[in-house]
Amino acid sequence: MKNLYIFIAVLFIPWSFTLAKYDEFEDGDDIMEYDDNDFAEFEDVNEDAVTESPQRIITTEDDEEEATVELEGQDENQEDFDDTDTQEGDTESEPYDDEEFEGYEEKPDASHSKNKDPITIVNVPAHLQNSWESYYMEILMVTGLLAYIMNYIIGKNKNNRLAHAWFNTHRELLESNFALVGDDGTNKDATSTGKLNQENEHIYNLWCSGRVCCEGMLIQLKFLKRQDLLNVLARMMRPASDQVQIKVTMNDEDMDTYVFAVGTRKALVRLQKEMQDLSEFCSDKPKSGAKYGLPDSLAILSEMGEVTEGMMDAKMIHFLTHYADKIESVQFSDQFSGPKLMQEEGQITKLPETKKTLLFTFNVPGSGNTSPKDMESLLPLMSMVIYSIDKAKKFRLNREGKQKADKNRARVEENFLKLTHVQRQEAAQSRREEKKRAEKERIMNEEDPEKQRRLEEAALRREQKKLEKKQMKMKQIKVKAM
Amino acid sequence: RSPLHARYKPPATETNPALEDPTPDYMNLLGMVFSMCGLMLKLKWCAWIAVYCSFISFANSRSSEDTKQMMSSFMLSISAVVMSYLQNPQPMSPPW
Repeated sequence: MKNLYIFIAVLFIPWSFTLAKYDEFEDGDDIMEYDDNDFAEFEDVNEDAVTESPQRIITTEDDEEEATVELEGQDENQEDFDDTDTQEGDTESEPYDDEEFEGYEEKPDASHSKNKDPITIVNVPAHLQNSWESYYMEILMVTGLLAYIMNYIIGKNKNNRLAHAWFNTHRELLESNFALVGDDGTNKDATSTGKLNQENEHIYNLWCSGRVCCEGMLIQLKFLKRQDLLNVLARMMRPASDQVQIKVTMNDEDMDTYVFAVGTRKALVRLQKEMQDLSEFCSDKPKSGAKYGLPDSLAILSEMGEVTEGMMDAKMIHFLTHYADKIESVQFSDQFSGPKLMQEEGQITKLPETKKTLLFTFNVPGSGNTSPKDMESLLPLMSMVIYSIDKAKKFRLNREGKQKADKNRARVEENFLKLTHVQRQEAAQSRREEKKRAEKERIMNEEDPEKQRRLEEAALRREQKKLEKKQMKMKQIKVKAM
Repeated sequence: RSPLHARYKPPATETNPALEDPTPDYMNLLGMVFSMCGLMLKLKWCAWIAVYCSFISFANSRSSEDTKQMMSSFMLSISAVVMSYLQNPQPMSPPW
């Protein structure tokens, strides 16, 4: 039955197509008849004109031509002569001029001078003109696409070259410091691939591990999107630069509890708003680092002054001043949990997980027009990273500092608990109700009536006990209040 | 500074890749919307924009994303262009 329906449907489609074709035929017929009447006087010319006219030539037309020999106004003849087919019409009419046009020579002229109706030149539709020029918009579009593809290839290759140049300059330093350089997480064993992991056409990752104090180090080369033409054009308005982001995850025992950041003022303001830990622990605005000899472009955000004192030793200051133009931000934090999450009502019930991390963001010099040679200038920054890892391990807060830090953390936790108090209460309430419901269900499902009764009694007793406890508590509170 | 302990390798990296750079997804969606518009309403410029969108989405895509979706949106936009021209072979007229 189904097959029959499908068959009928399939038949229906070509039938409708043929119907449509007949429609075309009819239209064609009308126009052809019109033309025939006009050319009736110039019968031979008529036939040729018919053959010249576009597309819908049907053999049945020939019969109709012979049939319709009517004298039409010569104005119309003039119009048809001015058709684009006139070119052929003109050339063809010459051999026939001799006899046929004898009597008519003056008449066409006369009628032409008498002719008050304007001669309308019919515009041949563009797609019949057979010239590529009329398709210039399409050609433009295709050219645009080709330009995009070219830019994609060029941009991709440039990013690739930059990444490999970076890796080649840094490879030695990394391999001397880390046991495992380059891993993409696909192998079961931890073997060093020694290659960058390409995440995107503009982002390259490198995971290094196997050093004394840190769990691992993730380096992300975030290049500009040179492969996307739109981005390239946008960058012409607003210059930006490639970035190298380094995230070192420290072992728990190797770093003390503090939150500290240094970087350009703009970057720090943005980080303070975005990052969970910076916003909670570093309440002040970024302070100028001039006190320690840092250039004006850099500012400091820290949990407490002691941390700044400890961090800003001679070597660090040396690094920061020398490479200030390349440093975007440096963040040491033991409560790092990433950017602030968009929190919905009633969703969070516990603090986000934190990890002890050191974050570095460097700008590649050249502001977009980097060449592979610029990568060498980033090598000292990597040494700074290594130095910071060791420093973070060695740096310990003294007793006061530790107390302050612990107080801070307790405060943050308390605030959080307060915020979520209502939600946690509701969660606990719902859990209790669930339990009761489960118990009741169990009681109902018990087949044995005896057991049922016993379970009911047990539940009742438990309820009684709870009520008694509550009453006792209330009494105690009342006594205390008194 | 010789390395001592070898650790495991969890470069599972991005916890929230969706947070960063939604461009390829948006472009994919836009491309499909434009190609459907171009097909239904027989607008040539819609179909061309759809082709562009699908190219941009491809250029910005992450390597972890499967290519099937990319190819399907690309094919859809190309088919929109082809169908628009089959139905109406006239060249596009500029809006000015």
